Amino acid sequence: MWTRREAADVRTRDRVMLGALTGIGLVAVVRMVDWWFRANHVGQPVLFAALSIAVWYGVARMVLGWVNYLAIRKPERKTAPAGMSVAIFTTSAPGEPLPMFEKTLAACARITYPHKTYLLDDTRDPMFRDLAHRHGATWLEIVDVPGAKAGKINRALEMTTEDFILVLDPDHIPFPEFLDRVLGHFDSDRIGFVQVSQAYYNQNRSFTAKGAAEQTYGFYGPGQMGLFGHGAAVAIGANCTFRRKALNSIGGHGIGLAEDLVTAIRIHAAGWRSVYVPEILSRGLVPEDLGSYYRQQLKWARGVYEVVFAEMPKLFSKLSWRQRLSYATIGTYYLSGAATLLYLIFPYLFLWASLKPASMYFDEFLTIAGPVGLTGTVIYLGAQRWLCHPQSERGIHWRALSLKIASWPIFLAGTVLAITRTDIPYVPTAKEAVRRRFLLLASPQILLIVLYLLTVVNVVEARLLVSEGALELTSQIVWGMVGFATLPILMAVGPLFAAWQSTKPEPGQPWDSVDLNEIGDDRPT
Amino acid sequence: MRRRQRVLVVFAILAGAIAGIAALTATSMESRGPLSSLLERSASAIGAIEHAARRKIMGSERADALAWLEPNRTRIEYLKNPDRILFGAYDGGIPQTLDGVVDLERDLNTVFPLIHFYAAWGDKPDQQFPLQLVTAIWDLGSVPVITWEPWLDDFENTIHPAIPLRGKRDLHGLAEIARGTYDFYIDEWAKSAARFKRPLYLRFAHEMNDPYRYSWGPQNNSKEEYIAAWRHVVDRFRSAGAGNVIWVWAPHVAYEYWDLYYPGDQYTDWIATGALNYGPIAYWSKWWGFDEIFGQKYPRMAEFGKPIMIAELGSLAVGGDREAWYAAALDEIAKEPAVKAVLLFNKRDDQTVTSQRIDWTFAGDSAVSKVVAAKIRELTIPGPKTPRE
Repeated sequence: MWTRREAADVRTRDRVMLGALTGIGLVAVVRMVDWWFRANHVGQPVLFAALSIAVWYGVARMVLGWVNYLAIRKPERKTAPAGMSVAIFTTSAPGEPLPMFEKTLAACARITYPHKTYLLDDTRDPMFRDLAHRHGATWLEIVDVPGAKAGKINRALEMTTEDFILVLDPDHIPFPEFLDRVLGHFDSDRIGFVQVSQAYYNQNRSFTAKGAAEQTYGFYGPGQMGLFGHGAAVAIGANCTFRRKALNSIGGHGIGLAEDLVTAIRIHAAGWRSVYVPEILSRGLVPEDLGSYYRQQLKWARGVYEVVFAEMPKLFSKLSWRQRLSYATIGTYYLSGAATLLYLIFPYLFLWASLKPASMYFDEFLTIAGPVGLTGTVIYLGAQRWLCHPQSERGIHWRALSLKIASWPIFLAGTVLAITRTDIPYVPTAKEAVRRRFLLLASPQILLIVLYLLTVVNVVEARLLVSEGALELTSQIVWGMVGFATLPILMAVGPLFAAWQSTKPEPGQPWDSVDLNEIGDDRPT
Repeated sequence: MRRRQRVLVVFAILAGAIAGIAALTATSMESRGPLSSLLERSASAIGAIEHAARRKIMGSERADALAWLEPNRTRIEYLKNPDRILFGAYDGGIPQTLDGVVDLERDLNTVFPLIHFYAAWGDKPDQQFPLQLVTAIWDLGSVPVITWEPWLDDFENTIHPAIPLRGKRDLHGLAEIARGTYDFYIDEWAKSAARFKRPLYLRFAHEMNDPYRYSWGPQNNSKEEYIAAWRHVVDRFRSAGAGNVIWVWAPHVAYEYWDLYYPGDQYTDWIATGALNYGPIAYWSKWWGFDEIFGQKYPRMAEFGKPIMIAELGSLAVGGDREAWYAAALDEIAKEPAVKAVLLFNKRDDQTVTSQRIDWTFAGDSAVSKVVAAKIRELTIPGPKTPRE
């Protein structure tokens, strides 16, 4: 786990393969468009429109993913020239655990390229100052600055002079060779920032952690490599090294819930380029319990829309069309919450109110949509070749999918809050009894299961009362709809387990077991 | 990307697209193949299981009432020559529901051993062998009667390049059927029918001697072509192992020389005709009694030595006394020993031959219902049917 890893090279034959698969996929999609929008497929018109939007939102995202992969690119290895002046910024806030900083700052001290580490501290806790000094870091007390982490970074920029700034999240433990692998990519004056992969070391501690980590594997592998190829590799908050001039040109680091994306789009709009280095050069923490995961997702869901609503309109003319497409894709990810809700309620609308969005033959649907789904799956699995650490990251990622489906209320809330421009209410860390927390975390799944069971009882009762002449001719659609309602119930098992597991946290802290002597390829002997 | 790579990518996309088109075209040719039929079979199995489960819990009045038929229901020999008149009906609610048949039965205080419906040729999913419907009819305790209409225009040239272009298919279409051009469809249907195993009546290309109604009529085909097509279809079914299919030859006996279309004793199990009184609703029709429509033709029909099916029995209400019409019709049938099946035509909004919707049902007319119910009871007294004269 603690060895440096990097994504595989992109060979010409891989591009040909991706091109061919995308071609097949596009043909299948065109065929599906032609089939889907037939007048005799329309059931209840409003519901048909809703179903079409949900389906075609999903297909469009898949196609955008393929288009993204077409540009997949890995930068050449570049040696860091001597003599660059580099700062590492890491921030501490009240309530964050001191032992975690112990590991982070000690690891920063072991980074081989000459640099200066700064701890941007607003804990007002002398222990943090002592800690910084013990590891040779410069302690900057920055208190009462609005804008949380980004606000502190901007203040620290005024207090320092280094040309390059690595913003490192405090839970991330960097490898000694981190800067050596990154700084060479600033060889052109037009490079604004260099982002590296984000990996974790606690993903095996719970279902939630594993699922949340799985959700990111593709993005930090082929996803960002494709964005890089399109000239839109984005900054992701942690592990991003900025050129000071680039940050200054946009008036400092962006502020807000999606400060990383906002910073990236502004730097791109200002004409800078970015590099994505698909290498694991640090490992950090992913949420281990479902509550933290939901809070993190709500924050992102609310924040990411700012890219669409606030930044894109302003910066639209300054971006290339490929950057526009990339940012639009990123900015609309959380619409999947609304789409999932629609998929969930359609079978119930039929079973309770006989409302049918579409009138299609299921076997026709399979033969038409099958090739689309199959191509998508093949491309998804094929692109796993470019995961940063395929041996541990490959797979069908069903935990990720079950968490994503379970998160629909969170995503939807983020969407609605963003559209209504409502700020996220303060969510205190719950300290209630364990039992209540389980019910709270699992309530969407429990409600869904209750609804499902009521529906099944109702259906069985109705089937006993329906006239014999209609019974057999309606059984296909009724039980088919029950089947559609059953799929999310099966998928709910994952989040239910995660909620239960969240009531019994793993003993010990993940950083306890990290041995800094084991980290990186260039570890000092 | 360097130029060489770009060119390669473009070529790859083109090649992929072409390969994709080919693959998908191939898929759609098979789209009625194993996947669809597997799905349909499992759907039909779910329906049958559900019906059986409910029957265990609630019983089935209808199937119980048909218990007399049960020992003979799977006997092809019996169904080719029953010892009594088998009544049945087509209802306009089919294929969505069979409730219309059940309602009509309740109105007439009887239960029909036969249930009749229409099935058209074509590529669409609802034009394939109606497994779900025949299974549902069977599970209700009856035997299905299918009027099988060879509309040729519902096949796509893109899927079947070998068939004539749409618009040019109907002329000598029956000759093409006889030549085997449509075997892709016939064989698939025959295999499905064979897999169904239980008996069903098939009334193929009915009223082939009427030049006005259907594309398989004499305006497009000669009688030799018709007979060749019929024999070809029967042969395909036989070689598919569909011995459970009972062949119902159905000319329109109002036209002269209908008997010249007879495909032969070896290819025919029943002879059928429709007996619908349109009354004065169209320039070509008037109030015809059952005797004019059917009775006068009966002796010639009976000469073939096959049981006779009145596949569509009905009268409109306008232009005469409907109650008397039905009474006379059923009285006459009682005197015609070769008539072994009578199917009521219970369609509320028929647009087959006129632009207006016409209503063949009599459920609202209790006088007619009473007469029909009484006559059916008379005619279905158990035991061999004997002439009353």
